[in-house]
Amino acid sequence: MTSIVSQALWIYFYITLIGLIAIAVYGIVVRPNLLKKIIALSILGDTANTFIIFLGFRRGGAAVPIIPTIKPTLEELLWFKETAVDPLPQCLVITAIVINMSVTAFLIALAIQLYRLYGTLDVRKAVRLRG
Amino acid sequence: MEIYPPLPPIMIHSLALAPVTAIVSAFAMPLIGLTIKNRKVWDAFALTISTIVFILTGIGYATVRYLGKPFVYLLGGWPPPVGIVYEVDEFAALLGLVSAFIIWLVVIYGVKYFDSNEDGMEWYYTMLLGLEAGVLGCIYTGDVFNVFVLFEVLSITSYGLVAFWNRRGECIEAAIKYSLIGALATTIYFLAVTFIYASLGTLNMADIAAKIRGLFFPVTGEPYGSIALGVGLFLALSIWAFTVEAGVAPNHFRVLDAYQVSPSTVAALLSAVAANVGFYLLARYLITLLSGARAVETIVNAGLLIVLIMGLVSIIVGSFLMIVQSDVNRILAYSSVLNYGYVCLAIGLATPLGIIAALFHMINHAVAKTLIFLTAGVYVKASGTRRLDGMEGVGRYAPITSALMVIAALALAGVPPFNGFVSKLILYEALLEVNLAPLVIIIVLSSALSLLGYLKIIYHAYTKPPMKDYGKVEPPKAMLWPMIILAALCIILGVASPWIYDMFIEPAAHTIFETDKFIEVAYEFAEKLLIGVRI
Repeated sequence: MTSIVSQALWIYFYITLIGLIAIAVYGIVVRPNLLKKIIALSILGDTANTFIIFLGFRRGGAAVPIIPTIKPTLEELLWFKETAVDPLPQCLVITAIVINMSVTAFLIALAIQLYRLYGTLDVRKAVRLRG
Repeated sequence: MEIYPPLPPIMIHSLALAPVTAIVSAFAMPLIGLTIKNRKVWDAFALTISTIVFILTGIGYATVRYLGKPFVYLLGGWPPPVGIVYEVDEFAALLGLVSAFIIWLVVIYGVKYFDSNEDGMEWYYTMLLGLEAGVLGCIYTGDVFNVFVLFEVLSITSYGLVAFWNRRGECIEAAIKYSLIGALATTIYFLAVTFIYASLGTLNMADIAAKIRGLFFPVTGEPYGSIALGVGLFLALSIWAFTVEAGVAPNHFRVLDAYQVSPSTVAALLSAVAANVGFYLLARYLITLLSGARAVETIVNAGLLIVLIMGLVSIIVGSFLMIVQSDVNRILAYSSVLNYGYVCLAIGLATPLGIIAALFHMINHAVAKTLIFLTAGVYVKASGTRRLDGMEGVGRYAPITSALMVIAALALAGVPPFNGFVSKLILYEALLEVNLAPLVIIIVLSSALSLLGYLKIIYHAYTKPPMKDYGKVEPPKAMLWPMIILAALCIILGVASPWIYDMFIEPAAHTIFETDKFIEVAYEFAEKLLIGVRI
C-alpha cells in the first residue's frame, strides 16, 4: 500500500515539475508585463534547480554527504557509500542560483530603465512608443 | 608538472591563461575606472589585455598544432572526469584564435568610435573583456556544465553590451527582448545538462563520448536507465538553446533588434564572435560527442536533420527579408541570419567536407561581417541616422571606407576572388557529394538576393548625390587600420585559399571527427585516478 502511495507521490512530483516549466514558459512568452516575465523566468530557474536536486536524491536512507571523522574507519566509509546523497547536483545548483540571481538583477535594472523612459512596464506599449 | 608534455611553461598554460586573463581584467576594470578617471588609461588597459589574450590564444594554437592531438589542461590539478578540464583540439584552438583576433581589432576600432564624452566606457570595456572570457572559455572547455557557466558569462555580458546606450529607449527594448529569450535559452541548456547527468552520471565531454559508445571510463559508474532517452532530451534542448543563442531562424527575432540598435562594435562582436560559439558547440556535441555511437544513432541523425532544416529556413528568411529593409544595420542583421543558415546547413551535413565548409565559412563570415559592420558604423556616425534614405551620398566623403565596404559586401555575397566565394564553393561541393543538388540552387539564389541587399547600401550611401555636406567623414587612422587589416584578410583568405585550406582549415576541421583521440587523451589522465597516482 505504501508503495502505491509513494509511486503516486513521485508521479505527482513529475507532473508538478512539468507543469511549472509550462507555466514559466507561458509567462515569459505570453505575459506582456516585464515584471511578470522576470518572475516566470525565476520560476523556470528554480524548477530546473529542484529537478537536479531531485536527481541527486536516493530513495531510502538518504544522508548528508559528509564523513564526520578526519580518519574514517572502513565501517564509516561503507556507511557513507550506502547512505550519502550525490553531492554534485548541489554544487551545480549553487552555481545556477548565483547565475540566476545576477541575470534577474540585470533584468530588473533594465525594467527600471524601461519604466523611466516609457512610464510603463508593458512590453507591447513600450514598442508602440518608439518614435 | 611532469604530467604535461615537455614544453615551455608558457605553451602549457597559455590556453588556460587566455580566458583567465580576460575575466580577471574584466573585474579589475571597474576598480580602475573608480580610481583613475581618465578615458585614455581605460583604453590603454583594454587594448593591452586584448593584445595579450590574442597572443596567448596564438601560442595556444601553436601548442595544439605542435602536439598534433587534443591538449588537456587540468584546472586545479584534478584529472577528468573528477575535475573541470580544458580540452582543446585544433578546431577549438583555431576558432579561439580567430575570435580573439576579431575582438582585438574591434577594441582598437572602438577607441575612436565612441566619442570622448561617451558615458560609461569603463563598463563597456568590463563587458567586452567578460565577453572575451566567455567566448574563449566556451570554446576551450571540456565539460558540459562549464559550458553552461561560461555561456552565462558570454550571455550576460552581451546583454549588457546591447543595453550600452541605456538612455535610448530602443536599446533598452532590444536588450529586454535579447536578454529574456537568452536567459530562457541558457536555463533550458541547464535542464539539458541535468538530463545528461541523470542518464550518464558524468559531465566530462570525453567521458560522455566514451559512455555513449559503451567504452570504459574510470571513476564514474555505469549509465543509468535508457541512454537514448537521456541523450535525446539533452540533444533536443541543447540544439534549441544553441540555435537561439546564435540566432538561427526560426529563433532569430531577438538578434535582429539587438544588432540593429547596438553600437556597431557590439553588433560586430555579437554577429562575428558570439554566434560562432553556438555553432562550435553544435558541431562539438552532434559530431564529436554523439555521432557514430550505435545507441543513439537515430536521435543524432534526427538532430542533424533539424539543424540542416533550420539552416535552410534561415537562408530563405534571411535572403528574402534582407532586401526589403531600409535600415543599414537591419540589412546586415538579416545578412547574419542568412550566413548562420549556411553554417548550420554545412554542420547538418556532418560530412568531413561539410565541416570544412562550416569552419571556413564561420571564419570568413566573422572577418567580412566585422568589416561591413565597422564600415557601416562610420556612415551611421557621420550621418547621425541608420536609415538608408538619411545617409545618401555619405560614402563620397569617405572614399577609403567606401572601398572597404565594397570589399566586404562582395566577400559576403560570395564574389570571387574574395573569401566568401571559397567557402560557398566548398559548401556546394559538400552538398553535391551527398546528392543534395537542389539545395545548391537555393544557396546560389540566396547569394544573388543578398548581393542586392548589399548593393542597396552602397547605392544609397555612395552612388546617390550627397543630400548635404557631411563634413569630415573619413575616420581617423586608429579606426581605419583595423578595417584595412580585415579587408586585406578578406582578399588573402580568398586568393591564398588553397594554401589556407591545406594548412589550417582542413586539419582543424578533421579533428572534430577524431572522437577516439578526444577520448584517449582524457583517458590517459583519468587512468591516474585508478592507480592512485598523486598528480
